[in-house]
Amino acid sequence: MATTATITLTSADIAGDPVNVSKTATCTKAGATTDLDQSTGLNRVHLRNATNKVLLAANAEGNDLAAKVYIINKATDPTLYLTVTINAQTVGKLYAGDWMFFPWSQTDVDADIEVAATNWTSSTGDIPVEYALFHEDTDFLTNA
Amino acid sequence: MATTTATIILASTDLLSDELALTTSATLTQTTTTTGVEDTTGLARAKVTSTAKGTASGQVTLYTADDFAAIPYLYIKNLDTTAGNRIYIYDDTTSGDPLQFQLDAGDFGFIPMHGDKTYKAYAQTNPTKIEFMVIGKDQ
Repeated sequence: MATTATITLTSADIAGDPVNVSKTATCTKAGATTDLDQSTGLNRVHLRNATNKVLLAANAEGNDLAAKVYIINKATDPTLYLTVTINAQTVGKLYAGDWMFFPWSQTDVDADIEVAATNWTSSTGDIPVEYALFHEDTDFLTNA
Repeated sequence: MATTTATIILASTDLLSDELALTTSATLTQTTTTTGVEDTTGLARAKVTSTAKGTASGQVTLYTADDFAAIPYLYIKNLDTTAGNRIYIYDDTTSGDPLQFQLDAGDFGFIPMHGDKTYKAYAQTNPTKIEFMVIGKDQ
């Protein structure tokens, strides 16, 4: 039941020699070689609020379990961004087209992943966001 | 300006009842523009020898606050092959040094950062090798 994540970073001209980094990670349970076996699937929401909204709610038992998160800002206006916070700490900003992928550390029940369309106004239009969670426990909830 | 592309492929033939095959590419640009990023730290490899945050030595600084203009993109991979040998990434700028990410052996992360916080890494096991790179616009 293997799920793999492959990242490729390429540039022919950002440095004197080409950059070409390609790595694959098999998504496994914490501290084990057993494959992750659960997923939320790919979700899509439209953000229309400049305040934080819970995208993925942390779980008390999640601290010692593996969870991999993928989030992408599907907006096309390069000025529109969303702010990603965990435990009220900003961990990322996704401008139009940007994505992030990271192992989610649910250090406590406050470690929700929250997103905000920080510079959204009624005239900017919504920010479409897609996200997926790959995990090993049973009771993650989403309430975006 | 440079053209730099970050691509992720999430794939599984048996996690779901239908095949998972998600491919996304992003051209990395300077904030609010379509101008490509132009600077990088290059790919670095380091041994993390500290097993606690806040100790004086053995941690690896992945990114120093405000070194790059927003948005710097951080790539990091835990090169260890023994499951459970984690890398811990914490925010060294914010009071209390909050933990941001944990990478188990083989895990990687790609994170468009806000850029105003220093990120450091310590390990569960001494030593643990990592590779990391920051891409963005130096300032």
